[in-house]
Amino acid sequence: MDEKRNELKKIIMDTKTLPTLPGVINKLNSLSENDKSSVQEMAKVVSSDQVLSARILRLANSPSYGFYRVSTISNAMILLGVNVVRSLALSSSIFEIMEKTSIGLWEHSLGVGVAANLLARKLGLPECEEISTAALLHDIGKVIINLKCSEAETLICRTINDRQVYMWEAEREIIDTDHAEVGGWLAKSWFLPDKLSEPIAFHHDVNFSVNHRIKTSVVHVADVLIKASGFGDSGDGYVPQIQRIAWDTLKLDEQFLAEVVEELEDKLVEVKNFSLELQSNDVSGS
Amino acid sequence: MQKIPLMLAKAGMVLAKDVFRNDSPSGIPICGKDTLLTDNLLTRLDHLDVKSIYVQGHPVWIDGDRSLDDLLESLDQRFKKVRQDPLTSKLYDIYVEYLKRSMGDDGGRKAE
Repeated sequence: MDEKRNELKKIIMDTKTLPTLPGVINKLNSLSENDKSSVQEMAKVVSSDQVLSARILRLANSPSYGFYRVSTISNAMILLGVNVVRSLALSSSIFEIMEKTSIGLWEHSLGVGVAANLLARKLGLPECEEISTAALLHDIGKVIINLKCSEAETLICRTINDRQVYMWEAEREIIDTDHAEVGGWLAKSWFLPDKLSEPIAFHHDVNFSVNHRIKTSVVHVADVLIKASGFGDSGDGYVPQIQRIAWDTLKLDEQFLAEVVEELEDKLVEVKNFSLELQSNDVSGS
Repeated sequence: MQKIPLMLAKAGMVLAKDVFRNDSPSGIPICGKDTLLTDNLLTRLDHLDVKSIYVQGHPVWIDGDRSLDDLLESLDQRFKKVRQDPLTSKLYDIYVEYLKRSMGDDGGRKAE
C-alpha cells in the first residue's frame, strides 16, 4: 500500500506541473531570508507582477482577515506580515482554480478562514493572520487531488454518496492518502513555515500536531463550525467530530461557543456577499 | 429583522437599523432606520461601499425559501454522524437554539 502512496506523492508533487511558482516567489524567498531587506523592497518585487499582485490583494481583502480595503502590496505586507503574503502568493493560483471549478469549496475555505480568525481573536491568540491563512489554505489538498487524479476524484465522490462517509475516509480508501496529507506535502514543497503546514496537514487529527497544536486546534474547530453551519460545500455534508484534544487545548466551553456561533453567522452574510460579488465581477469581466 | 447583503436588497424593504459608513457604528451615519428603500437609495448605498444592511422582517430566503422545520431537518442531516458525541452534540444544541431564535420571533415561516 505504501508503494501506491509514494507513487501518488510523486505524481501529485511533480513541481513542473504544479499550478504555481512564478519566478517572483524565488526572489521573494531570498529577500525574506535576508534580515537586511526591507518590506518596501519585497513589496516592489511582488508588485512587479501585476497579475500576482491582483490575486494577492483579492485574498488579502477577503473577509477572512477582517481588514477591508488593503489596496497595496506593501500595505498587505505590513498588515498581514511577509509570511502571509508569501503564502498567498504561492497559493493564489490554486485559489484561482478553486474559484473556477468549485465555488462551494471556495466558499467553505473562506468561511473557515473567517471562523478561525474569529476564534483566534476571541481567544486572544497571537498571530491571528497566520491562523486565518492556514484556515484559508486547509483544503488545498482537495484542489490538487482534483487536478492530478480526476478519475479517483470521481470515485471518491461516488463513494461519499453511496456509503455516506466523510471525504477523508473515501480518499484514504481509494488513493491511500487524504487531502490533509496532500495539503501538507504541498505546504512542505513550498517551504511554508510549520505554523501553516501543521494546521493544514492535521486539521482532521490534532493529535499529530506537535509544534503548533493551538493553531491546528483553531483550524480544526473552525472547520467543524463551518460544516455545522452548512455554509459552502466541502465535498461531504457531514459535520466532523470536535476532538477532545482541540477542545481542551483551546479551553472551550458551551457559553463561548454559543457566542462564536452568533457572531459567525452574522459574518457569514458578508462572506456570501464577498463571494457573490466576485462571481458577478467574473461574469461581467469575461 | 434580518441582516442581508446589499446585493440582495430590493426597493420596498424597510431598514431595521441605521446604516453607517464602512459598516461600523463609529463611521458616519448615512441613512436612518425605518427608511423605505428605493432603487435610487440602493444605488447610492452601493456607491458608498455599504456591504450589508439590516431590514425589517425576514424578506430574503437565501437557502431557497426554507422554513424552520426544513432548516432543523438539514441540521439533523449534517450532524447525523456525531449526535452521540458529547462535545459535538453541544454544538448541535447551540445551533438548534440559534436557528429557533433567529427564525422564531419575527417573520419566521412555520411549515404547515
